[in-house]
Amino acid sequence: MAAQPARRMRVLLAKLGMDTHTVGVTVIGHALREAGLEVIFTGLKQTPEMVVAAAIQEDVDVVGISTLSAGHTRSLPKLARLLREAGAEDKLLLAGGVVPEEDKPVLLEAGVDKIFTMGADTREIVRYLEEWWSEKQAAETV
Amino acid sequence: MGIAADLLDGKIGAGARAITWLDDGDPRGAEVIKRIFPHTGRAHVIGITGPPGAGKSTLTDIIVAELRAREQRVGVVAIDPSSPFTGGAILGDRVRMARHTLDPGVFIRSIGTRGSAGGLSRSTHDACLVLDAMGFDAVIVETVGVGQDEIDVVNLAHTTIIVGVPGLGDEVQAVKAGILEAGEIFVVNKADREGYPATQRQFELMLHLREQSRPDETWRPPLLRAVANAGEGAVEIVDAIAAHRAHLDESGGFAQRSGLREREQVLALLRERLAREAIAHAGDSILAEVEARKLDPYSAIEKLTGQG
Repeated sequence: MAAQPARRMRVLLAKLGMDTHTVGVTVIGHALREAGLEVIFTGLKQTPEMVVAAAIQEDVDVVGISTLSAGHTRSLPKLARLLREAGAEDKLLLAGGVVPEEDKPVLLEAGVDKIFTMGADTREIVRYLEEWWSEKQAAETV
Repeated sequence: MGIAADLLDGKIGAGARAITWLDDGDPRGAEVIKRIFPHTGRAHVIGITGPPGAGKSTLTDIIVAELRAREQRVGVVAIDPSSPFTGGAILGDRVRMARHTLDPGVFIRSIGTRGSAGGLSRSTHDACLVLDAMGFDAVIVETVGVGQDEIDVVNLAHTTIIVGVPGLGDEVQAVKAGILEAGEIFVVNKADREGYPATQRQFELMLHLREQSRPDETWRPPLLRAVANAGEGAVEIVDAIAAHRAHLDESGGFAQRSGLREREQVLALLRERLAREAIAHAGDSILAEVEARKLDPYSAIEKLTGQG
């Protein structure tokens, strides 16, 4: 049978800087695939500039940054700013991994939309994305 | 219409959005194609295919680098399988091409198969048109890992590169049925590995058989070696791509292949449209009758097409 038109959520998953811990991002990627999403991996040692370029080429809806080493208080605000400057502020920007409590307000203020810290259930992340997605879809069809 | 004009201007975001629409089957995608089609037909579409683990992404990476060194602007459509159960996908080809991310002369797009067989997605052809209209000189289509006959890429590409590797045992046997007949450039990658001479000989034998069975073929497919993760082989491969392009230009084959590709696309779209309309027209009841085994598939087709 012919394929029906279907908008499918696309998510870019990346790691910034010298952080080379990939287990978390791999687990999240597989969970999102199981939930029916398309997950684009960029690999390690990305700069904020590279993430923005890839996010635009791939036309993703969501940018997810896994951060398990320090440096996120500089790189994530920079990424948020570059996304805005590229006119891509409609993309949802998520951070996951090790983020100390005191850093959270800084990141949220800088344009990170949501932070999932260590121990977050992948189902919680999927649920959050699905809710965001259905609200976005509803807003677009009005 | 903004997106079509913007992508014709080479705006990356516009091209990326058009590809999304085409991938999603959004009607706005078809409108974009209508606008840009007159501006297509220039790009050299290069297919890269081979079994899983052959190093297609790494090979694509070094080919992109060599094409860039020759001042060609390069678009890449990298295809990975979608889950047949959830429809989700992990698209990881660009990991191997990360060094090109910030190069404005390179555009990489990852696409899931979304239920298509044949090694491509249903949107691949249209994605190539978009990249063509954006002014990319070469468009590389990297297929999913293929087995025996998932070679739709040969209908899409002007030049198809078949990649093999040592150590996959009967892989060459498996590959030869469809792929051997189709490719224009053969590459044995990971040529530093044990088993390379045997794989090389198998490919030589197959190409020899192909030459014998097709004495009129004017293009002799070269057999090249590569160690893609060490950057070896790119110059020879890109030389071969250029030689095949020259051959196509001399023989009139370039325009002929582009023409055949559009013809195939019309037939594919027609099949899809007719199937959808037949189902919409006759309702799902005929399908339900077949499911309940009250009707056989052939009688169902006659009913669906108004001949029953």
